[in-house]
Amino acid sequence: MTDRVKDWSRKNLFSSAFNSVLTVVFGVLILYTLYRSLRFVFLDARWEIIDRNLTNILVFRFPRDELWRVWLALYLFSAALGFAAGAAARRAGTGSTSAALRRAGPVLVLVAVFLWFSGSFRAVLLTAGVAAVAIGFRALGRRLPLRTAWVVLAVGGGIVLAFAAIMAFDGVGFERWGGLMLTVFLAVAGIAISFPIGVLLALGRRSSLPGVRIVCVAYIELFRGVPLITVLFMGAFTLGFFLPPGTPTPSLETRALVALVVFTSAYVAEIVRGGLQAVPVGQVEAAQALGLSSLKTTRLIVLPQALRAVIPALVGQFISLFKDTSLVATIGLAELLNVSQIITGQPDFVAQGLVFETLIFAAFVYWVGSYSMSRESQRLERRLGVGER
Amino acid sequence: MSTLTSEALRPGGTGEPIIQLEAVEKWFGDFQALRGVDLVVGKQEVVVIAGPSGSGKSTLIRCINRLEKHDKGRIVVNGIELSDDIRNIQVVRREVGMVFQSFNLFPHLTVLDNITLAPKHVRRRSKSAARKSAMELLERVRIPEQANKYPGQLSGGQQQRAAIARALAMNPEVMLFDEPTSALDPEMIKEVLDAIEELADSGMTLIVVSHEMGFARAVADRMAFMADGEIVEVGTPDHFFENPQEERTKQFLSQIL
Repeated sequence: MTDRVKDWSRKNLFSSAFNSVLTVVFGVLILYTLYRSLRFVFLDARWEIIDRNLTNILVFRFPRDELWRVWLALYLFSAALGFAAGAAARRAGTGSTSAALRRAGPVLVLVAVFLWFSGSFRAVLLTAGVAAVAIGFRALGRRLPLRTAWVVLAVGGGIVLAFAAIMAFDGVGFERWGGLMLTVFLAVAGIAISFPIGVLLALGRRSSLPGVRIVCVAYIELFRGVPLITVLFMGAFTLGFFLPPGTPTPSLETRALVALVVFTSAYVAEIVRGGLQAVPVGQVEAAQALGLSSLKTTRLIVLPQALRAVIPALVGQFISLFKDTSLVATIGLAELLNVSQIITGQPDFVAQGLVFETLIFAAFVYWVGSYSMSRESQRLERRLGVGER
Repeated sequence: MSTLTSEALRPGGTGEPIIQLEAVEKWFGDFQALRGVDLVVGKQEVVVIAGPSGSGKSTLIRCINRLEKHDKGRIVVNGIELSDDIRNIQVVRREVGMVFQSFNLFPHLTVLDNITLAPKHVRRRSKSAARKSAMELLERVRIPEQANKYPGQLSGGQQQRAAIARALAMNPEVMLFDEPTSALDPEMIKEVLDAIEELADSGMTLIVVSHEMGFARAVADRMAFMADGEIVEVGTPDHFFENPQEERTKQFLSQIL
């Protein structure tokens, strides 16, 4: 064993005098950085700012006596998503529960960190309940042989119910959402809405109808040529100008979401267009020769291949959207990053340089989200790569 | 059919015409790919089209199912004249199967799904019925064990046989083959030609663009020789190979035989 270590390090770390110097210099640098980071995280950092503000970071101004709605929504969400994951695993004929748990690893670590800071036994129990519901519905989804349409209906219904749990029956509107909850909502809703719009724009850009084509090209080129912050500012301050007079102005959160969708769908459109162009013309000809209409050719032959080809780029765009939700701080929304700043101004913590702690914490949350998306995309690629030519 | 001057232009098979081309012209920009082509193919006839590359063979058969739009002349398939009317085109395409040089199987679908796609979505057949006849077709082209694989997992010859099964699944009146063996390794050519020959024996109307002269001689009712966008010579295989009349035909045959 030690011989193998010696061999390996001689070959890879100390193969020449120059490489030996590099190894030593960078080894020292890495160790020092690691030492300083670990020391900060585990010894020096004053995590009580996170400890005291955990609820602020998670939901910010959300009324505390309505928090049960968020829990209820979490239960409904985990039921819907667990069911969807189970149905997908059944279709693919793969996916043991242990593999699914391993994939959720980073998220589980994040949840554990949250629970550690919350120090509340009730929160632990409730979270365990959410996990149990997710696992249970995943098992249900794997066993029930339902048609795709029913699965979509069930999952969509669960998501609608989750929103209803928060917003309906004298619930809490967008304008009082904040923290991580707002970040996740903006990202997920942004992705879910901008994806179909982007696909339609990409198809429209290749349409044979000049009117459709011109509108799509104009839209795509306009919003790709403008910084996201500009679109956000326009959404925040000038949207009322474009709405018919007398329409009640939507909340700032809604306007921010519209801006994110408008911006991202233009990018999605260009990514999807790249995928459409990568589908060989012979595929369309083969479909036409079989008598398929152009709509069915697009839906059954062209789009599935085009989207599969652009999964990495699409997920990259969605990761970027997830992180770009932090820009809504510039129009005054209290999402995760903004809350991290705001809490450093509390009387107990002001002017103590605690922004390190809050930023590191926020960065960790963003990283868990982005990394999980990236890993899921690699898995999706591998799975859909079956029978690649 | 006053334009039919030569005896050889008469359709073979049952003698009842199923495909009629009259003075068909096709341009790609400044290049004229077809210069007034006349051809009548009879029901159950097997026509093999040969000729040097760039002579318009592929363009000609691609005009028959409107993958290319002809610029002048008439094309009538199974009693329907091809025009810009998309519904007519789709009716024609349902009755005309096509097999491509590069297979063009759908790589994201299994072989079985490739074959059942059009019957399900165009003929509106039930899933189980479509699968049943797909399996019969796979038996017929001798690759039933490949049904649940993806095209990328098959050899070239198997892919082309799957493509033949896919086209046959629509129960077409006519099958068009566009150089079906040109993209294949030599050892796989025979299995595909055998499948086509079996189709010819079953009484299906076939138009085959091919460079396989041995195959052509064995299955063709008539040979058509194309050069420079025209049909230079049409005749029975015996006439074509033993006694070609045109100088260009003789030259072509001397190069490839």
